[in-house]
Amino acid sequence: MKKYFRELSVAGALGILLIVLAILAPSFYSPQPLLSLAARASVSLVVALGMALVIIAREIDISVGSMFAVCSVCAGLFAAMHWPLALVIVASILVGAVFGAFNGALVAGLGLPSIVVTLATMVTWQEGLRWLRQGEFVNLPDGMQWFGLSQRLGQWTLVIGSIALLILLALAMKHLSIGRFIYAVGSDAEVARLSGIPPKFTTFLIFVFMGALVGLAAIMNIVQSPQVDPQSGNGLELKVIAAVVVGGVSISGGRGNLWGVFAGLLLLACISPALTHLHIEAYWEKAIQGVIILLAVVAEGLRSRKALDHG
Amino acid sequence: MNAKQPTWKQNLFRHEAILLVVLIAEWIFFDAIGRNFGTYDNSCDILRHSCEIGLLALAMTPIILTGGIDLSVGSLLGLCAILFGKFWRDAHLPIPVAALCTLGVGALAGGLNAALITRLRLPPLIVTLGTFSLFRGLAEAITQGVDTFTNFPNSFLFLGQERWLGIPAQAPIFIGAVIFFWLLVHQTTYGRTFRALGFAPEGVRFAGIPVERRIAMTYVLAGIISAIAAIIYTARLGQAKADAGNGYELYAITAVVLGGTSIFGGTGSVHGTLLGVAAIAVLQSGIVHALQPSEMAGMLTGALLILALTSSVLPKMISGLRARKSALKLSKPIA
Amino acid sequence: MSGELLQLTSVAKSFGAVRALKGVSFDLKAGEVHALLGENGAGKSTLIKVITGAHQPDGGSIQIDGKDVGRLSPASARKLGIACIYQQPALFPDLSVTENIGLRLAQAKAFSRVNWSSRRQQAQQLLQRIGAEISPDAEVRSLSMPEQQLVEIACALGAGARIVIMDEPTASLTQKETHLLFAVVRELRKNGVGIIYISHRLEEIFQLADRVTVLRDGESIGTNRVDEMNEASLIKLMVGRDISAIYPPAENAAGEVVFSLKNFSCTHGGVRNVSLEIRAGEILGLAGLVGAGRTELARTIFGITPADSGEMFLNGEQIEINSPQDAVTRGIAYVPEDRRRHGVILEMPIAQNMTMAIHKRFFPGTWLRFGAEKQLALDYIRDLSIKAYGPEAPGNALSGGNQQKVSLARWLATKPKVLILDEPTQGVDVGAKSEIHKIIRSLAKSGLAVLMISSDLPEVLGMSDRIGVMRAGTITSTLPGKSDAPTVMAAALGQKGAGA
Repeated sequence: MKKYFRELSVAGALGILLIVLAILAPSFYSPQPLLSLAARASVSLVVALGMALVIIAREIDISVGSMFAVCSVCAGLFAAMHWPLALVIVASILVGAVFGAFNGALVAGLGLPSIVVTLATMVTWQEGLRWLRQGEFVNLPDGMQWFGLSQRLGQWTLVIGSIALLILLALAMKHLSIGRFIYAVGSDAEVARLSGIPPKFTTFLIFVFMGALVGLAAIMNIVQSPQVDPQSGNGLELKVIAAVVVGGVSISGGRGNLWGVFAGLLLLACISPALTHLHIEAYWEKAIQGVIILLAVVAEGLRSRKALDHG
Repeated sequence: MNAKQPTWKQNLFRHEAILLVVLIAEWIFFDAIGRNFGTYDNSCDILRHSCEIGLLALAMTPIILTGGIDLSVGSLLGLCAILFGKFWRDAHLPIPVAALCTLGVGALAGGLNAALITRLRLPPLIVTLGTFSLFRGLAEAITQGVDTFTNFPNSFLFLGQERWLGIPAQAPIFIGAVIFFWLLVHQTTYGRTFRALGFAPEGVRFAGIPVERRIAMTYVLAGIISAIAAIIYTARLGQAKADAGNGYELYAITAVVLGGTSIFGGTGSVHGTLLGVAAIAVLQSGIVHALQPSEMAGMLTGALLILALTSSVLPKMISGLRARKSALKLSKPIA
Repeated sequence: MSGELLQLTSVAKSFGAVRALKGVSFDLKAGEVHALLGENGAGKSTLIKVITGAHQPDGGSIQIDGKDVGRLSPASARKLGIACIYQQPALFPDLSVTENIGLRLAQAKAFSRVNWSSRRQQAQQLLQRIGAEISPDAEVRSLSMPEQQLVEIACALGAGARIVIMDEPTASLTQKETHLLFAVVRELRKNGVGIIYISHRLEEIFQLADRVTVLRDGESIGTNRVDEMNEASLIKLMVGRDISAIYPPAENAAGEVVFSLKNFSCTHGGVRNVSLEIRAGEILGLAGLVGAGRTELARTIFGITPADSGEMFLNGEQIEINSPQDAVTRGIAYVPEDRRRHGVILEMPIAQNMTMAIHKRFFPGTWLRFGAEKQLALDYIRDLSIKAYGPEAPGNALSGGNQQKVSLARWLATKPKVLILDEPTQGVDVGAKSEIHKIIRSLAKSGLAVLMISSDLPEVLGMSDRIGVMRAGTITSTLPGKSDAPTVMAAALGQKGAGA
């Protein structure tokens, strides 16, 4: 129980927020808007899961926003060319994986620091996309929206799909060797190498996986509206890193779990609608987000200080 | 294991030297293909546009030297800009007093980063990620998302838009900052302490150096510089909005790393940062004057950064390969 | 030459221009403890890294059981039964003991299932076998250094290693744990395991090893049976010259009391009611087992973990030290135990290292004075016989012994009245060791009060004018410098009839 204190406290904070909303703004709980909120959050959740793996491995990826935009536009264009849905999905994931592989090659292959590499790729893809598309939207064919299902069914598909992915990944991280390799490499890459775990391969794989998840998330996003906005993905990296950090994953790697990330993401995703329903102006959102991140970091700092004292 | 001295060849291929060559090559190239590029007027424009990011990059250098990072400088610029506007327009303070108050806000904000990082020993990346959000959020909240400050007096706009004694009016401030930071980093014990902290954060404490005070200094300085940059930004654009400085921190970090400062701390220089800022600014201006889309500048900047990083690890890889080849020649097994 | 467990033939390895191994041949028989001796920089670590597959040799061959193994990688070396226990435990700090042992032993394929219950059982069994009282669920970061080493030994045992390499394993073990280790080594030997044992502690080699090989400057000088050698002949092989007087002689009576502590405590740091006195010109040796609180005492005196009760007197005046800055201002210097992390900044030039503690005094107004700094460095390079290519050489271009001299120079530059040395010759080769001893004695002669913490019993006995023995955070007895080893050891263990 003590071991999961961090994750439980985030869940607790979420719980308190939900209770406050139930009392003060029960309009928050109307089923359809809540479902739409969940469907939008599921997109961020998928990316956050990938980011959690990256951060646990002691790396970071701030290019996810631009990757997301590029994948969204590519997927939109493929759909507009009337490719079958399944092919569009696969293609989007592949595009993401290729971008991820590029990051991974530079970080794992050349040993360059991930913050600077992904900073460079972020700027490059962002500007490149703006140049090619000039901000132009992509119009999607009718069949794309909600995977061709009804809105409700489509939203439920997204929500359940993302939660299924969460469960799958959480189990894999705990019970599959490759999951433990990620924790090992994040804890101490040199020790991992001496123990026969391949740090470079593991790191490379993580970036590729991150890219693939971004590609998947891009699809999940574009089916929610009739057009693809090339600006989508703006600020995604901040949102997702915040969710991961709030969820208890340590920025120095080697610790944290995906359930905490789930709680952290939900907490941050609920802020904006909560503000609306509590009749607080929307422009407070960023400030509150910042305060939550700082509180989470302070909590993490105090926790690790206590552990050192007792050890 | 007593190693030898580095050769003159190794010194020649140092990062700053290569960057200088790249910068000169850029200039020559764009002068050749662009119209109106190599003119004095354009050079002034380049200086004017790169002033704010240049200031942020200068302030970022000591921070990165200590092994830290500050993602909040761009948002702080935005917050300071609108607070400056508010001090002048709503509190009716004269411009100089409003400016001074803004510097105070910058110092306080830098102090917040400093306190969280040094007192509570929290990782700078995440702390400044939080304040990045907080400062921008406060800027948006105070302006309620829509308010803009304009109609500044011409005497103030002079700072950002006119020339003083033939050079852009903000140049003296920038040059003053360059001199300040160069002296701080390269000629004082503070600068040496910054490097030492980047290499050995624990070891410096054992030498009797007040570690927390030194690190705090870097973040408070960054806060003050952000405020100065905000005032110059407002003067240059003639208006202050909540989105001022959006994305500036990333270009500042790019300039610093491009200039040869290691993101892990310890190695780096102010002149390197300056070269990095110049390389990016010249690139941006050159692209525009070559009638190419401005996005290409961004892409090339990203590519340039990757090239710079790759070239920094290349020497080690080459010497490693070379050593392996020669050793194989030397020690062939006899039987 | 079949029958040998491990055979290295003409192994060579270079790093850039540095030839770490120049064609070393070495063999290990099954069921033997083969000690590997040599000064720092002689090539021991490189040889070990080649055997464990962490480095690929540029020339020569490696054979196990008479068969050539070709290119070794850490994974293939493990499969062949090679295990290495380093000074710094190679463990994952954020993971549990169970997981650490499991990851090292499992050799799992990436997409296989993790069997948590069997891993935990395995860890439990291995820990019990070596008598370690460590919970398998404990996070490695929360374990002490000696505990972490025991986990490492459990790993080696579990790996069923046939070739076990131990690199200075007793450096931070208590007496009890050292005995445990020796017992484990003897058991391994009985079971036909070949052990390569690296240690600077000659008495351990005579106690444990069957044969000993000496490396010097990347070459093997010779392999002998331990019972055919004595200490002097071993040292001569290592250094290539005679080390006659090992410890410089003490001078006459010391002067006034310069430094004293009364009921000095830091509860948080484990220092309890320490009282001691040091006179000018005197070396007070501080003996005790690892964990007795000696480094903690030094850190409390120096202000890193300030005291919360008791009194400190310097030249008769009561003073209070709350930070390292206070200590330096007062004239108290501390040369730390961890040379690489706290003593010297390896990436910076040694001149800059030497002035690191005197910024306020040496650089008035914070302006750097490069010329004066260079001169200071040259003076210390000469006075302390530091081997480096110049004052601009970075710390990592020097050997361990010379790094220690730079660390010492840094603190001598503060012109201290009290000098605290924490393991001043740990990991330092024999030649530099005796140079450092001479320096310490001459410093004391010039009027400094010296507090010398050392786990090297011969060093404590040879250098100290008086010996303070610490146990459980306090000084339990003070013995004359000419005491013998058993007396000091008994006092350190807290046995009856020990000391004054």
